[in-house]
Amino acid sequence: MVTEKNAEGHADISTLSFEKALFQLEEIVQKLERGDVELEESIAIYERGDALKAHCNRLLAQAEAKVEKITTDSAGQPAGVEPLDPK
Amino acid sequence: MSTLLITHPCFVDHDTGPGHPERPDRMRAIDKVLRHEFYSGLVREEAWFREDAEESILRAHPQRYLDMVKAARPEPGGGRVHLDGDTVMSPGTWEAAIRAVGAGLGAVDRVLDKKSNIKNAFCQIRPCGHHAEAERAMGFCLFANAAIAGMYAREKHGVERVAVVDFDVHHGNGTQDIFWSDKDLFFASTHQMPLFPGTGAVSETGVGNICNAPLRSGDGGEPFRDAFESRIFPALKNFSPDLIVISAGFDAHEADPLASLRLVEADFLWVTEKLLAYADKQCEGRVVSMLEGGYDLTALARSVGVHVRAMMEAG
Repeated sequence: MVTEKNAEGHADISTLSFEKALFQLEEIVQKLERGDVELEESIAIYERGDALKAHCNRLLAQAEAKVEKITTDSAGQPAGVEPLDPK
Repeated sequence: MSTLLITHPCFVDHDTGPGHPERPDRMRAIDKVLRHEFYSGLVREEAWFREDAEESILRAHPQRYLDMVKAARPEPGGGRVHLDGDTVMSPGTWEAAIRAVGAGLGAVDRVLDKKSNIKNAFCQIRPCGHHAEAERAMGFCLFANAAIAGMYAREKHGVERVAVVDFDVHHGNGTQDIFWSDKDLFFASTHQMPLFPGTGAVSETGVGNICNAPLRSGDGGEPFRDAFESRIFPALKNFSPDLIVISAGFDAHEADPLASLRLVEADFLWVTEKLLAYADKQCEGRVVSMLEGGYDLTALARSVGVHVRAMMEAG
């Protein structure tokens, strides 16, 4: 959950690739788990992590929709890839 | 029987610098509320600069740590010294830290003295204490005020079992570290996780004397109360303390800028009343509450207001 308090400052995330966003998210998780983050900064970094997670989830959902489109298309026979129509 | 309020003007002289959330105005905001007529029934004392403060600190921290903090003290008129990215000492910090420890010791003396007519006590203090580990200052904390008060009660008043209950939004890693292997000292905490300081998992249990109940970002009163009902109160009852020390942080409030739980004043009132009611049954109402965090001034002042009022009405 990204609260209103720190919602600004995460605008760049929507342009990140899945790999880059996941890498940044893993770095944040490691920092939080190691206790490497100062108290004052802790909530900001947590919320960036949350925004990264939401972005990764969005990209994954789009990828899943694509896969589903292939597998459900033609009675077990792959019928090629149709263009994804993201919601 | 009365509630004792302990504070001191020097707590505003712990100068953490411009823009620091743990700031002197926190004391001023609480003062504004507690000087209302509504609180005229409080017994008020100034926190003491006690000769036994250092000896008491040494029950929780080794000599080399005390020496390190002492050596870091800035000279009068000098600048601020950073012990880590969060934790700052100004020329006024040493006196504040010693009086913050002294507040806890004095509160324990009064609450455990049957002739004092004091049933419980609130220490309105800075700097806070629950992040200070045995050998490490961190998270705005120098000395583990609540742990030190509990260990003093055991040593000087013959109290056998002391529980520290911590509802600050950050895990009380310092108290946990110091109590970790002592089965007669119990530590229970609700806190947002993951968040600073990174500890506080359910799996951290010490020698069966540690009870962590982590909450998730966005959690409000219901999961908070459930954590107490389902985890903390059963563990506390199982431990059967002779004295309860509350690490009273109010930064789980929905308005707090350093975390994202969603508690409101009614939740702090609920947990205070529950703890006091249990203390009344278990240990003659003996509760010492010590201020930890809380960084939205209005939310802090109002939450302290309901907490202290509940203490006045207990028993």
